[in-house]
Amino acid sequence: MTEALQFFLISWLDLKLLGLVALGTFAGIYVGAIPGLSVTMAVSILISFTFAWDVYPALCLMVGIYMGGVYGGSRTAILLNIPGAPSAIATALDGYPLAQKGQAGEAIGLSTVMSFVGGFIGIGVLAVAAPFVSEFALTFQPRDYMLLAILGILLVGSLSGESLLKGVFAGALGLLIGAVGLDPLTAEERFTFGMVELWGGISFIAVMIGLFGVSEALTQLHHIDKAAVKQTIGRIVPSWRAVGKYLPLSLQTSSIGVIIGALPGTGGDIAALMAYDHAKRVTKKPEVPFGEGAAEGLVAPETANNAAVGGAFIPMLTLGIPGDAVTAIIIGAMFIHGLNPGPMLMIEQPQMFWFITGALVLANIFMLIFGLTGIRLFTKIVEMPRAVLIPLILLLSIVGAYAVNNSITDVYWMLLFGAFGYLLKTYGYQVGPVILGVILSRLIDENWRRAIISEQEDLGRLFMGIFTSPLSLVLFGAVVFIFISQTPLWTGLRARFGTARARGDGV
Amino acid sequence: MHDPSKKMPGETAFAVVLVGLSGFLLWQAILISGFEALSSPGAFPMAAAFAMLVTSVAILIKTLRLRERMALRFFTDVAPPVILAMFAMMLGYALLLKPLGFLPTSLLFLTVSIFALRRRGLLWSFGVSLASLALVYVIFRLVFTVLMPSGVVPEGEILAWLGNLFSGGDTQ
Amino acid sequence: MKTLFTGALAALAFTAAPALAEYPEKEIQGIIQWGAGGSTDTVMRAVTPHAEEMLGGKVVMQNMTGGVGAIAVKFASAQDADGYTLLMGAENPLLYKVMGLGDIDYSSFVPVNVIARGVPILVANNDAPFDTLEEMVAYIQENPNEVKFGSTGPGGLPSVVTAMLQSEIELTVTAVPYDGDGPALTALQGGAIDVMPAVLGASIEAIKAGRIKPLALIDTQANEALPDVPPITEAYPAFETYLPWGPFFGVFVKEGTPDDVVAKLSEAYAAGVENADFQQLMDDRGFQVMNISGDEAQEFLDKWQSVTSWLVYDAGIAKASPEEFDIPRPE
Repeated sequence: MTEALQFFLISWLDLKLLGLVALGTFAGIYVGAIPGLSVTMAVSILISFTFAWDVYPALCLMVGIYMGGVYGGSRTAILLNIPGAPSAIATALDGYPLAQKGQAGEAIGLSTVMSFVGGFIGIGVLAVAAPFVSEFALTFQPRDYMLLAILGILLVGSLSGESLLKGVFAGALGLLIGAVGLDPLTAEERFTFGMVELWGGISFIAVMIGLFGVSEALTQLHHIDKAAVKQTIGRIVPSWRAVGKYLPLSLQTSSIGVIIGALPGTGGDIAALMAYDHAKRVTKKPEVPFGEGAAEGLVAPETANNAAVGGAFIPMLTLGIPGDAVTAIIIGAMFIHGLNPGPMLMIEQPQMFWFITGALVLANIFMLIFGLTGIRLFTKIVEMPRAVLIPLILLLSIVGAYAVNNSITDVYWMLLFGAFGYLLKTYGYQVGPVILGVILSRLIDENWRRAIISEQEDLGRLFMGIFTSPLSLVLFGAVVFIFISQTPLWTGLRARFGTARARGDGV
Repeated sequence: MHDPSKKMPGETAFAVVLVGLSGFLLWQAILISGFEALSSPGAFPMAAAFAMLVTSVAILIKTLRLRERMALRFFTDVAPPVILAMFAMMLGYALLLKPLGFLPTSLLFLTVSIFALRRRGLLWSFGVSLASLALVYVIFRLVFTVLMPSGVVPEGEILAWLGNLFSGGDTQ
Repeated sequence: MKTLFTGALAALAFTAAPALAEYPEKEIQGIIQWGAGGSTDTVMRAVTPHAEEMLGGKVVMQNMTGGVGAIAVKFASAQDADGYTLLMGAENPLLYKVMGLGDIDYSSFVPVNVIARGVPILVANNDAPFDTLEEMVAYIQENPNEVKFGSTGPGGLPSVVTAMLQSEIELTVTAVPYDGDGPALTALQGGAIDVMPAVLGASIEAIKAGRIKPLALIDTQANEALPDVPPITEAYPAFETYLPWGPFFGVFVKEGTPDDVVAKLSEAYAAGVENADFQQLMDDRGFQVMNISGDEAQEFLDKWQSVTSWLVYDAGIAKASPEEFDIPRPE
């Protein structure tokens, strides 16, 4: 135990390592905040950059960037309605309305503290229960992933805004966008129209930047001559009472974050959206309605995506299996530095586990410090004249879309989805379900096919499998429950049907 | 600004376009692999496109039933000239990016759009553009080594030359 | 951020020191065909810094994924043949033609260095009702279609190995496709699939920890990294005609690149591969270092393409006959 503590404190006691974690976290916040620059990208560049270094300093920098980057995405989501990273999509839903009311400072303060809480819970689970959680994550079969993804797509119900019908349409469109390109399982062409540029599919980041960033910038052009919203910076750090009030919710959403993060193949983006949906379901009386700036709508995704960081390290450190794209690269970096991440790492080099846990805690603390300072400066961005801000957003959108894959084609897609997103918003569709569909598309498609292939194309056998496995049964039950309770089939149907017809509502 | 109980200008046309799009995508999805197996590559796209078609038809029907119209006009409220012009600028940017290169295209884009929107001194707009572009360039090109198209500017050579100056001529 | 920036500048300054007229006079772009964190990515990011020292230039590496790597190949072949674009790829492009994935493969490129090759190995879930290759064959023949083999799509290593097995042994199995060998090996540990033909390097840590069990190496001899695992030829000598066979990693430039540039690159990468740290990394991951270039590398590529194309064609998973592309049947 004392040995573990000693390893845990390595990065705390060495000034150079401490500085590198701080630097990494600081840089990560900005990497995360700029759409098109991703943590994945930053960490892979760091591999060549830190090539000649020792393994400890290299890992300190990477861990810092990871933690800071996941958090940083919330900045631009709140201030500009452009999620800096996919894991901040859900944050934009209630964060941006707050900024428009002039409460950006409070929103950032709350999301910072909640990211810290979530990050802490994630690391806590990593430290205490890593072997247990990773064994649990391994028991997920293709059918379980499929059920989980279906559970995810049911979120359309809470992202649809004024019309469920339009939400379902947008969600299905997203699923289809995600299927474009060479089928990853059979290399069959899907919706490519013979164009090689489409083989790789439509870049998800390009779609996201277009639907959120460009469409928002175009909408803002309507108000080009209006003065920008003045931000009142009152209390930035939320009171103890407020934190205490959201603690039960954040514990639940952090658990969602850890589990989803620990599952190989799902990460912070899905975790944050599922947590948002969960918050919407369990919060009976929010002070402000969801979608208009509910605090719970910030708490849930921000705790979940930072908890997913600790979660992603669980299978990585115990089994050598990456929990998400970033941990996959960190595994590569560890190889290059002469370590062999795998099930033996915990046994042969237990110091690595405790060292990384220690660095994560440190990064989490720095995230809180850097996150709470400089908010005033950040909120100045929204107070810039629109005539300057909008062209800048558009330029950043183009550069960001290009940077993901160094592809002009992605820029065209981004523009197309920008214009399309603008029209969607104008006519009362939400862009959230589109993004949700794109995120979940491959997860559903691939796991459905794996599941049915494994059962030799026999639906009966598939259902037998679901009903004989406790895990699948629980997930299946959750799907049925949410489908009935969240869609208008149950409570909504009778009530809404009557009033909808009377008011001619519900398109 | 959307009110579900009233019809926006262009809303019906948009709904029709979406039905057409869904139908086309469903047809394309069927072409992928037909109905050969539950696990075929086309199964999932077909299901998604089918859901799109059903919902878009339902949306169209509901839109057609709307009696009240909003007191808005398409080219002043939905797609006013400023939005169309800005979008055209972005398209122009994307087209010029490869041949002209990142730096000149971006500078042109920023200067023209800031000047047009702000209507305050060309020089001022140019200055603001130059400063923000420099920041973007440092972050994306230098720190993150994203190779933006260099076009007419021999960027690689200039950077190498600059690097040479920095190294003060010391040889390896 | 600031240190990162000055670091980047320093790196630029450091590498741009030699006289400008000489290649490389600017940054070289390295296009990695597969995603960050994968085997190709790791190998390339590990060897390139060593090669840079020799080259006296900076290689900026970027991942360009999608289309089973075909997008990166197409991009690299559309650039100027000036040696400023390197294609860092794996074996897949050699199968593009027969798999119907376009008409550009390594024949449009010159090999700078074929760095290393991997050894395929057959691994099984610990609960699978067989412990050796023979027991597996017997079990599958008694229970056709019940055993689930992991796969990474047609043309991927598992599909070729399975085709190879099926060319000599009667095996009816269910192939469950995954995105790559990483996810498939995860599924193997969780019991979603029973058997996986994988690369030794990707599975070695899990084998050592006893989380999955090895059945046979798809090679003619045992491997130092796992001396107890029998090569497949011990039980089935007929496979000797196909072996040694395995995935490989290489660095390529477009055909038509000036000879002195190719020579300089080859020299740099040869030195990079020789580096002791890199050799250690390859050993740890169970890769066989090849470090060949020029005619030797070309010969290797030709033979690989001929053996594999015909194998997948005979197994019925190819879309076109190798004959259409003048790929000779192996003697």
